[in-house]
Amino acid sequence: MTTKLKLTVAAAAMMLASTAAWAGPEVVSGPGADPGCFAPWDESTTYFQWPAKEGPYRVAVVNGFVGNTWRIQMIKTAKAFSEDPAIKDKIKEFKVVSTGTDAPAQLGAIEDFINQGYDAIVTIAVSPDGFDRVIRLADRSNVVLVPFDNVLDTDKVMQINENQLEMGRMYGNWVVDQLAAQGKTSGKILEVRGLAGNSVDRDRSIGINEVLDARDGPWERVSVVGNWDDGTAQKVVADAIAVHGHFDAIAAQGGTTGVVQAMLDSGHPMVPIAGEAENGYRKLLAAHSGDGLKGISIGQSPGLVAIAMKAAISALEGNVMPQLIAVPLPVATYDQLEDGVNYWTDLPDNFFTVNEFPPCGVNITGPAIMAQDESDVN
Amino acid sequence: MKTWSARWLTQNRGFAGAILLFLALYITYNFMHPRGFSTAVLVQNSNESVAIAFVAMAQTIPVLMGGLDLSVGAVMTLTSCIASELVNGSPAQMLLGMFLTLLSGAAFGAMNGVIVVYGRIQPIIATLATGAIAIGLALLVRPKPGGDVDGDLNWALTNTVWDFVDTYGGNPDAGWLAPFANIPVPLIILFGVPLLVWLPFRRSVTGRTIYAIGSAEGAAYMSGLPINRAKIAAFTLAGFFAACGGLYLAIQTSSGNADTVQAGTYTLNSIAAVVLGGTALMGGIGGAIGSLVGALILRVISFYFRILDIDPLLQPLIEGVVLLIAVSFGAFRTLRVKNRLELFR
Repeated sequence: MTTKLKLTVAAAAMMLASTAAWAGPEVVSGPGADPGCFAPWDESTTYFQWPAKEGPYRVAVVNGFVGNTWRIQMIKTAKAFSEDPAIKDKIKEFKVVSTGTDAPAQLGAIEDFINQGYDAIVTIAVSPDGFDRVIRLADRSNVVLVPFDNVLDTDKVMQINENQLEMGRMYGNWVVDQLAAQGKTSGKILEVRGLAGNSVDRDRSIGINEVLDARDGPWERVSVVGNWDDGTAQKVVADAIAVHGHFDAIAAQGGTTGVVQAMLDSGHPMVPIAGEAENGYRKLLAAHSGDGLKGISIGQSPGLVAIAMKAAISALEGNVMPQLIAVPLPVATYDQLEDGVNYWTDLPDNFFTVNEFPPCGVNITGPAIMAQDESDVN
Repeated sequence: MKTWSARWLTQNRGFAGAILLFLALYITYNFMHPRGFSTAVLVQNSNESVAIAFVAMAQTIPVLMGGLDLSVGAVMTLTSCIASELVNGSPAQMLLGMFLTLLSGAAFGAMNGVIVVYGRIQPIIATLATGAIAIGLALLVRPKPGGDVDGDLNWALTNTVWDFVDTYGGNPDAGWLAPFANIPVPLIILFGVPLLVWLPFRRSVTGRTIYAIGSAEGAAYMSGLPINRAKIAAFTLAGFFAACGGLYLAIQTSSGNADTVQAGTYTLNSIAAVVLGGTALMGGIGGAIGSLVGALILRVISFYFRILDIDPLLQPLIEGVVLLIAVSFGAFRTLRVKNRLELFR
């Protein structure tokens, strides 16, 4: 027992000494592999290359918060994708953990997988900052760490996201355009924000307000926090309508089904709206667009996890990868909605309609995933 | 005629049980981990345990008086946001920043105490309100996540003593250092602070008054114990411990984040850790060190998800069941009582 302890301590010390030199990805020039799938964020995006490793690999997904449909759909997508024929042979071991909204626990889990010798760790960060230590440790052991969805404010890791700022701008432009079509160039706009302290919430809100500052106006703004949750959003929007009486348009980051429900319940006239990609929201758009609920639906896809896994494996194979990968925004406006194609009347309100990314070979649709039961996905 | 150790055991049954449970869980985890019993794993485990352990210790003190402090998680969040603004610059500035962070936490706790004592409001309600105030202040201090806590400080305090000495220009291979070189700095902080602060406090009149209030407040009052002083001191100390957690969290993440959800999680987990550590929610029995161990147990349970193959969507359920079983150990004594009246003690 004691000898084992001493040996491992000595081995750990030697590892520390031998890898003290900074490893990690090398910054190289582009273009990267498979640009159709791994599109660089913009022209200034740098490119990374890790030393190629022999497969198959050990891959872990470290999720934070769990408990809404989006995250559950994300976890199911991850598990289904790890069994996908295109990728199955490249993965030796696959593990998913959820740490809850707890930064130290998430950092600890990532560090644990590094210590266990995993090759790639895909994560949704619970905070845009604070990962310096695990990035340093990952680089030291040549582990590919891939944050997606809630990404980090750093350019030292490969990250994958939809452009949240752009999404916010599109929300903003949509409501201003729709109001302009009605002949309104000023008025009162309700902004429904997401989970406070989160980079996605921050960037979408900046995008919305940037557009409102720049175009027409003046726009009087009322901001409420809906936490991307239908119940919370419905409550705060109902409160806001009770206090302010009337809004000319609504820009909601999430929980959009609840937002529209609150408008219906309070008898608020149907006004232009921008929102997420919940199935329930799209159902309501299809039903009420004739009454003036002219909406745009742009969603953050739970399928991002599959692209992140694919990117991690591509990086492990030694391919040149963009540091920041942009996944195109899946947009649908009220006049483009089609039952069974981009929304489903027979499926629950709270799942996310956008899941697949054909250019990346991610062809698992949201309904296909939600229709499967647990045992099939395992 | 009982020996010293037997007497200690009857008086600290919950605490002793917590230590045994922790050791069993943690040693098994290390055997199953591919790099078990290594410094790297110990460093990683202690890092993620510091914040929750401090918040659990903070919660213990109001619980000992028979109250609950629902603001501990929020105070941790507030102080981590304050630290993310103040802990940088020259070493002297950093030390001053740390001092101010701890001071702000203690001051917030003292405010809780004053509200409870002179406002005559139940602690659980008073701290529910002040917790919301703390989150509001945290969002004012840091509306967006970020901040730049010194990077060297982050590296030095989240690693072993060897790295600490190495970071600050000492000779990490000096002979006198060898016995300590592999000890994680977070462990030293985690055990050092309660040893220096909690143990002396518990022996003081104020400290013992806290236990007396939890056992029988009326009797404590009639005995002339300084009740008001003890209550304010208890909340102040709770604020101080929560600030220790917040300060470490800020250093560990090199940043601050006014994360409301995380604050709530920490408050709830702190109550679970207090119970796991053998402190009675009715007050009067237990201590901060027990809660420290309770917090470690809470953490170790989640470590298992990383080495076992458990369906990710079942993990929260399993964590809850294990927690329930662990807490139920404390109820075993009820099976052995000879007189039902003993249950009310």
